[in-house]
Amino acid sequence: MSLPAANILTTASVAPAAELAGPAAGRRWVRNLEIAIPATVLVLLLFFCFIWPMVYPVPKPVGGSLTTVNLPLWSKGHIFGTDIVGNDVMSRILYGGRVSFEVAAGVQAIGLAVGGLIGLVAAYRGGWTDAVLMRILDIFIAFPSLVLVLAIADSLGPSETHVIWALSAFSIPAFARVARAAALQLRDRPFVVAARLSGTRAWRIMFQHLVPNMLPQLLTFSMLGASLTIILEGALDFLGYGIPQPTASWGNMIASGESFISVYPRYVVVPSIFLLGTAIALNMLGDGLRARWDVR
Amino acid sequence: MAASATAADAGGQQAVQLAPAPLLEISDLRVTFRARGAQIYAVQGISYTVEPGQTLAIIGESGSGKTVSAQAVMGLLPGSARVSGSVKFKGEELVGRSQQDLRSHRGRSFAMVFQYPERSLNPTMRIGAQITEAIRTHVQIGKNEAHDRAVDLLKMVRLPAPARRFYEYPHQLSGGMRQRVVIAIALACGPQVLFADEATTALDVTTQAQIMDLLLELQQQTGTALVMISHDLGLAATYAEDVMVMYAGKIVERAPTKELFAGVRMPYTQALLDAIPRIELEPHVLLPVIGGRPPDLASIPQGCPFAPRCPGVQEDCRTDAPTLKQHEAGRWWACWHPLGKGTQQ
Repeated sequence: MSLPAANILTTASVAPAAELAGPAAGRRWVRNLEIAIPATVLVLLLFFCFIWPMVYPVPKPVGGSLTTVNLPLWSKGHIFGTDIVGNDVMSRILYGGRVSFEVAAGVQAIGLAVGGLIGLVAAYRGGWTDAVLMRILDIFIAFPSLVLVLAIADSLGPSETHVIWALSAFSIPAFARVARAAALQLRDRPFVVAARLSGTRAWRIMFQHLVPNMLPQLLTFSMLGASLTIILEGALDFLGYGIPQPTASWGNMIASGESFISVYPRYVVVPSIFLLGTAIALNMLGDGLRARWDVR
Repeated sequence: MAASATAADAGGQQAVQLAPAPLLEISDLRVTFRARGAQIYAVQGISYTVEPGQTLAIIGESGSGKTVSAQAVMGLLPGSARVSGSVKFKGEELVGRSQQDLRSHRGRSFAMVFQYPERSLNPTMRIGAQITEAIRTHVQIGKNEAHDRAVDLLKMVRLPAPARRFYEYPHQLSGGMRQRVVIAIALACGPQVLFADEATTALDVTTQAQIMDLLLELQQQTGTALVMISHDLGLAATYAEDVMVMYAGKIVERAPTKELFAGVRMPYTQALLDAIPRIELEPHVLLPVIGGRPPDLASIPQGCPFAPRCPGVQEDCRTDAPTLKQHEAGRWWACWHPLGKGTQQ
């Protein structure tokens, strides 16, 4: 008679322990990695792009010496070699990374602020305001984004700020849509109605009650947006509408290396790996955060 | 309980002969929604008054228009709703006023407690900030004073350790505690009418009783009129002085609670009462239900809306709709053939 009881006891005591150490814990570990790996990659990249050149004598990214032209990979003092005019490729990668991250941050910040505000107001006011604002943004979305960005960049002329303005033309409508959807979901939640009912002013409801609850969605979206921005920035540089040469940027490096692709593929491959790696890391981080915050 | 009995009598008296200025006077309130080309007649001409300190229960099944009518009173309906009729607060017309005009009434003239305490609080704001926001919207006071008042309010709704809770977030509280916070917010500016829309439905029975007792006690302290919206007849029987039964966007019966439960007139109310499971029933018998379904609100039926489901339906019920009339002192019903000794018409 004691046997079944003992069985029950052991299974009962083992089951929760197995659950803790078993697949659930494993999945959580994987989930943490989904965020930890891309976050580590990005932090390292940011560190090397922005802080490393300040503490370590990194060679200048422009004005290289003709005596050190076209050194191969892993040369002494030039890990990634030097390019066709003698600039250190590693240094150009680091300074070019600055451009990519600055443009990505700028475009996302403008998109978040301007687009977020448009979407918020459209959702909260509804009716005509909503219809007019969203139709205007639809026009921007309907344009093929690269053509629109090219047109704006061309008319403004090449410079880093102008690239940010041009790329914002597609981040603003995208953020506006996400913000509008998020705000619409929240607008009729009882705590918002309750705030309205206690006579709270509209701007206070928007910024105190809606915005903090929209942030998870907007921040996840900005990660995905940043990866797209970096790629588009590269494309603009490549086409000659972005950062003016000879300033270092990943897109410029790919563009100037393109003529030698059959002879020296490293001129294109090295910056491409960084461009791709950064975009993938941002995408992974966005997805990981989305899963963590349970954002649809 | 003598006090509540006299209050009930007073309510009945005022229903007979309207007192000079009722606190809240609703007459012929209609709400129509336009949805995909169809008109939804959600509220079809209801009239009632609320007196200071009164406890009124609005009872009805889902979709009977009880919540929509309360939202219409407070001007909370979306733009797709058309509201007509009249809502007068102390003689001041509220229907057709702008949101800006209504702002001064909200929180001070009337406030509302919602069904889901977990959704009625902003998850990203501290509890204290949510209460002080409600206070400082209407009263020009400093932060410290608002803090003290908020803690007082939390004390009043008997939240344990109010000074500490002030700095906590909603997810750190239980459902009952959250509803106490919601009530504190609703009472922050001393509203004269408090709507409780299924305020205790999401809570367990013990907490439900505590919250209802708290509401009634606060009502006695502050003299606020309480309009409880519920589908729970038992709750209404226990706590309300007057009961109003809604069906398909209309009021079908209104009476002081004691008299209503002593002798129901409207067959719909009777059917609702019969549908309550009783402990005396034999085990394993089918529960009595109301056959059929509530009418489609997209069309106004000819005749009494309850006629298709009414056990005592007669020929005239199908052709002419009875209107809500006062048949006895304080007792109103809309039925051609009422139950009990009601006067036939």
